Amino acid sequence: MTEWVAIVGSGLATYLTRSLPLLVTFRPGARLRAYLDDLPIAVIAALAGAGVIAPEQRLAFGPELLAAAAVIVVARWRRNLLLAVLAGIGAVALLRAIT
Amino acid sequence: MLITPFLVGVPFGILARETGLDPLQTSGMSVIMFAGASQFVALELFRSGATPVVVIATTLLINLRHLLMAASLRPHFGDRPLPTRLGLAYLLTDEAFAMGSSWYRRGGRGLAYYLTFAASMWVLWNLGTIVGVLAGPAVPDPRVVGLDFAITATFIAIVVLGIRGRRDVVIALVAAAAAGLLRGMGLAVVAVVVAGALAPLVARLFLRGEEPTPGPPAEVSR
Repeated sequence: MTEWVAIVGSGLATYLTRSLPLLVTFRPGARLRAYLDDLPIAVIAALAGAGVIAPEQRLAFGPELLAAAAVIVVARWRRNLLLAVLAGIGAVALLRAIT
Repeated sequence: MLITPFLVGVPFGILARETGLDPLQTSGMSVIMFAGASQFVALELFRSGATPVVVIATTLLINLRHLLMAASLRPHFGDRPLPTRLGLAYLLTDEAFAMGSSWYRRGGRGLAYYLTFAASMWVLWNLGTIVGVLAGPAVPDPRVVGLDFAITATFIAIVVLGIRGRRDVVIALVAAAAAGLLRGMGLAVVAVVVAGALAPLVARLFLRGEEPTPGPPAEVSR
């Protein structure tokens, strides 16, 4: 029973964070609009950085860092999402196997 | 990209069973919460005997980043009726935001792209959960073949392909370094929301006087 309380409560908490900005009708001014325009790259880069520099919740300069470099190089070179991701997966598997 | 929710959903299902949740609770979690990272954290908390209040508060903190994502997507969703917006909110995940916002940045319009991607994520995440519950520990460890890195690699590639100029490079580097450092210092639950919210402001200090919104990024093949 306590599990269900936690699950439903967590679901509501999550939904609140997803829905709140969509409930209001708002017309952002130029400054706010510029900030909102910068947010996607900042938030996605933050998600990426957390997974690269601290994959196990603590700072580590391991295979993930080199694999991230491989993703960046392939993404810039081929401009193809799938190829870049595959390069990253391959690099991390290879580096873990040899270290 | 689309296969990752399935591949992460399976170990979630396995781990939830090992934590002692029944199949209905496990699937219920993936349907009601539909939030990968915080579902794993919730399992960890269940295991250590945390009360529901602790689980709910932690989930709220971890998912605060969605506030930023929803606010950023809001102008692109336009003036849709409330039920539509409530439905869009339910499907908002890191991955849907990443794909959706880069689509809008390349000049995309409308809801079809976001909706198709976000709904597929939902189906595959829940399918993965059920497979994990049923298959149990017979499934191999995704770490061995590097598949645990797929989501991080996708985020990196989306950032690189979305770079429109020097300004975006600075924002991305500040955000990535700050989030990594915060998470490494044990502040994992707030790392992404703090780094994501502050990076554009910090970058603005570095780049004072530069033109903010350049054109869309170069064409991407997929």
